[in-house]
Amino acid sequence: MSIAAEQALSRDEQDILQELMNIAFGRASADLAEVIDTYVVLNVPEVRTLKVVDLPEFISTEISDHDIISIVEQSYLGRFKGVALLIFPSGAGRELLNLFGDNVEDYGEDVSMAALEKESILEVSNILIGACVGKVVELLDDEVSFSPPRIIIEDHPRNAIPCEIFEPNSLATVMRTVFQFSDRNISGYLFLINSSESFQWLKKALNLFMEQYE
Amino acid sequence: MIFEQIFNMINVGLVVLDKDLNVRHWNRWMELHSNIKAEDIIGSPIFSCFPNLDNPKFLRNCKSVFKFGNFSFFSQKLHRYLFPFKPDSTFGSEFNHMQQSCTMGPLRDESNVVSHIYLSVQDVTEIAAYERKLVERNMQDGLTGIYNRRFLDTKLQEEFSRHKRYNRPFSLIMCDIDLFKNVNDTYGHQCGDVVIKHIAALMGSVIRDTDFLARYGGEEFCCLLPEADFEIACSLAERLRQAIEQTEVTFDGQTLNITVSFGVAYMYDEVEHAEALLQMADDALYAAKKSGRNRVVAAP
Amino acid sequence: MIHTILIVDDSTISRKIVKKCLPKDREFELFEAGDGLAGLEKFKEVKPDLVFLDLTMPVMDGVQALQEILKVDQDAVVVVQTADVQKKTISNVMDSGAFTLLRKPLSPEAVAEVLRLVEGTGQKKG
Repeated sequence: MSIAAEQALSRDEQDILQELMNIAFGRASADLAEVIDTYVVLNVPEVRTLKVVDLPEFISTEISDHDIISIVEQSYLGRFKGVALLIFPSGAGRELLNLFGDNVEDYGEDVSMAALEKESILEVSNILIGACVGKVVELLDDEVSFSPPRIIIEDHPRNAIPCEIFEPNSLATVMRTVFQFSDRNISGYLFLINSSESFQWLKKALNLFMEQYE
Repeated sequence: MIFEQIFNMINVGLVVLDKDLNVRHWNRWMELHSNIKAEDIIGSPIFSCFPNLDNPKFLRNCKSVFKFGNFSFFSQKLHRYLFPFKPDSTFGSEFNHMQQSCTMGPLRDESNVVSHIYLSVQDVTEIAAYERKLVERNMQDGLTGIYNRRFLDTKLQEEFSRHKRYNRPFSLIMCDIDLFKNVNDTYGHQCGDVVIKHIAALMGSVIRDTDFLARYGGEEFCCLLPEADFEIACSLAERLRQAIEQTEVTFDGQTLNITVSFGVAYMYDEVEHAEALLQMADDALYAAKKSGRNRVVAAP
Repeated sequence: MIHTILIVDDSTISRKIVKKCLPKDREFELFEAGDGLAGLEKFKEVKPDLVFLDLTMPVMDGVQALQEILKVDQDAVVVVQTADVQKKTISNVMDSGAFTLLRKPLSPEAVAEVLRLVEGTGQKKG
């Protein structure tokens, strides 16, 4: 193990992070309604610390209801640092395209429906991840940059879930939520996976957050 | 001072917009490619000069960057460009507009609130032209110019998944030039090539715009027909057969009459993978050959 | 005067924050519950002067707990606290009969203001 167990988040720190995520996702949900004109229900997030090697297994178990998924991967880089994975069940692209109601004619004639659906997933994911991560780091008084999102479309979870995100023997904090677009038959999973590199800072930031109440 | 120089010297378009999407900064690169001077655009809404940006997607992404401080990416693959500029170099001759990869991101004030957004515009025309050329080569048959087998196999997989997801109909025609070995043996390989080219061109002119015709093997062709049910596919195969039967190929002063045999297969739910459909079309083609050639046989 | 306060929230940290935000110079008798149903039971048992209620909780959510509490005592003073600040949620909570709604995370100032309002209106009987 490349990181000592005591460097991982304590029970208390996980609770603080959990509550921070509650607040952050609540705000994200409210602001998302304004940006994409639809109410996104973000369920109570769950926080846990895992070994990186166990991540793919953990994620596949969480989404075991779905045979075919699309998955968007985007890294965020600040003192808060990690990878966001957003997972949609099969068929979400079409629903999202309808949600935005963008004119298909706005794009070139040679752009296929499949490409447009893929683009819809990418755009929604970019905004959703931006909203959730943005609100968390705002509460922790940090700023992050984002890489362009990458997508794996309509594949089996075993092919789609990336296995080599971080150093396999290190620890990662996984923040998981299930989201749902109200009035639409679209739901999915969001995983924020923080690398152990940001643990030290995260511990400090979480304790600072609580200190304002001492 | 140095930052301002970088802002203007860098080989990337840089634009800064305020909350009302008025232009606040417009660098030299933008001036040179748009023919709009900074002093003429600063202070006015970006839409006044670029009405094409006044669309839901662009607005949505602006809102998102202001609200969440995230980044938005407008890739060349789908958007081609945000700003309709002329291509810069000879590489761009096949494009009407400069191909751009654009990014939008947050700029914060002293109290850490996103007060402005920036847009960076990168000219990727050269890469796009190169990519297009590679993609075309990768899907073309060198001799005939129609699609190659690799492309058809990919397309078939796509169409197959589309059927599984949306239940869209499609069909497949496999065909093979009759007694082609005789042509080669009698008139030589050059003549064989002429025949193949001729047949490919003729079939290409008969099929629908939405169909995909590929050279599948030496003298074997395969045509993928999206949205075509069994009847459409069979009648198209029959039209192809007749067209070829009626045509004459001339080579070195000689006239050849060529015929082709066809096997047709139609996609239905019980077909479990794309290869099975190919096999069905192939079996039908084999049956057409066995029962006397120059005919269309449909898979049962 | 407010003396007994019930804090209903599934997050221990969130309950801790509420406690920390109460005025330091006053004495309160505090009760806690970790979900809506437990909160309702506790309410029946202790009849608190004031309830801080979270919205998103397991077993019974905040809106439902609010309605049940008001069925038990229509004059109950329930302050809903939530991270969800959408207009739809706010109007839903206010229509259900909440005294007011506070945005998470709470601040001592916001809590002091609520106490002042509750004690000023004399809404609570007894």
